[in-house]
Amino acid sequence: MTESTVTLTQFFEQARKGALTGIRCGACGALAVPPKALCPECGARRWETVPLSGEGTIASYTIIRVAPRGHADDAPYAIAAVRLREGVSLLGRVVDVPLDTLAIGMLVRFRPIVVKDRPAIGFGPA
Amino acid sequence: MRRVAVVGVGVTKFGRHDRTSAELFAEAAADALADADLPAGRVQALYYGNVVGGETEKQLHTGPQAASVLGIPTVPTTRFETACASSHAAFRHAVMEVASGASDVVLVGGAERVLNVPTADSTEYFAYASDASWEQTLGLTFPGVFALVARAHMHKHGTTEEQMAAVAVKNHKHGVLNPKAQFRKEITLDTVLSSPKVADPLKLYDCCPFTDGGAALVLVSEDVARTTRRPIWVLASAAASDWMLISDKRDLSRVPATERAAAAAYRQAGIGPRDVDVVELHDCFTIAEIVATEGLGLFEPGTGGIAAEKGWTSLGGKIPVNPSGGLKAKGHPIGATGAAQICEVVTQLRAEAGPRQVEGARRGLTHTLGGNTATVLVSLFGRD
Repeated sequence: MTESTVTLTQFFEQARKGALTGIRCGACGALAVPPKALCPECGARRWETVPLSGEGTIASYTIIRVAPRGHADDAPYAIAAVRLREGVSLLGRVVDVPLDTLAIGMLVRFRPIVVKDRPAIGFGPA
Repeated sequence: MRRVAVVGVGVTKFGRHDRTSAELFAEAAADALADADLPAGRVQALYYGNVVGGETEKQLHTGPQAASVLGIPTVPTTRFETACASSHAAFRHAVMEVASGASDVVLVGGAERVLNVPTADSTEYFAYASDASWEQTLGLTFPGVFALVARAHMHKHGTTEEQMAAVAVKNHKHGVLNPKAQFRKEITLDTVLSSPKVADPLKLYDCCPFTDGGAALVLVSEDVARTTRRPIWVLASAAASDWMLISDKRDLSRVPATERAAAAAYRQAGIGPRDVDVVELHDCFTIAEIVATEGLGLFEPGTGGIAAEKGWTSLGGKIPVNPSGGLKAKGHPIGATGAAQICEVVTQLRAEAGPRQVEGARRGLTHTLGGNTATVLVSLFGRD
């Protein structure tokens, strides 16, 4: 294993199929979200691919009511920063959770979604 | 390294303009040169900030365009883009050019035009400063980014929507005193709290407006500065970056880049937050001002909301923040904002700010933030 073993395209291809892929530094063991060339912790250039559970808790969230052009039809929609069980965080749309029940610390689980024909990160009830 | 001074400032009226960003910059720059009492022929370089010209004006290569419209087409010109911190980044590099001895007179500035396109379009263009693959795809907006910060700050520190609203009320009150401000109308806590939600918990009046405008300043070496009437010295100019993705920030209630840039600037200047008399900081959203006052060391972490509520950051308070009205009321023409903040602090330190003057101000600080809190610049200024 040498350079980032997972490209963005590969990550989202896998995500579309329901799998979240992380990368772990072969030198220091630090976990990261791809793509990365060098390990931000130790500078090594040796990554291995590891599956991520997709389970995590909401670190913060918002409900977007004024959306960019192209997303207006979806509004209002919830976006959360989710700290995964393994320690890395991902941003995602929260789906199938009533907006007024969202809370920091809420358990959620990764769920593949498609936004404007592109694969994207979603989180649903745990 | 040589000492560097600001000897001329110019800012357009902020608001809606029927002129290109190059024209807006040129007005501000001509005013700055007149203020410095230096001929345009003395300018050896232009450092220029512009962000969404490619989208709103279908215009790239905005640096030479700005120089040409100003009437100094042959000076070396570079356009900086660090999202909303662009002209502050331009300023830092210009300071290094003068401090190094490469040039004696350098022009710095920026301009932006966005009110010529619909809000849904400008919201999308501003979102280009977040990550295309991870964030834009989700429909994340900049109010959304700072809503994540706000929610985390509320959860960790008990900060309230009323405390955030107090920032907006204060900055609108200051804006009334600034003839260049976009909004010159006082508002109440209820105006903010009852305004429509944009990205919970942020409401319309927690957000700065879209703005057209330009700002410029003249930077010179100490030798040149001694020939001018009232130089304001650059004591420090520091930059810090952080993770691009908002989700990569370990603690969303903080802006580590602000903390690092501030520490570097205080170290360069050999002073601390208690030595600062006036602050212009990046209040793109009310929560951004609260978090910035903490990150700059003006208040303890978690107490920025209390400081706003108690009036400690108002004109006449412990440490006046954004006497210009800030981005909230003065307006936020993103490419011009960093330069405009510096123009305000220079005006304050010259004691020329009229009804919004911070009495006896000797040292000032400017703070500008770009993108998902991934770029921050902090500069410090002092008078003789």
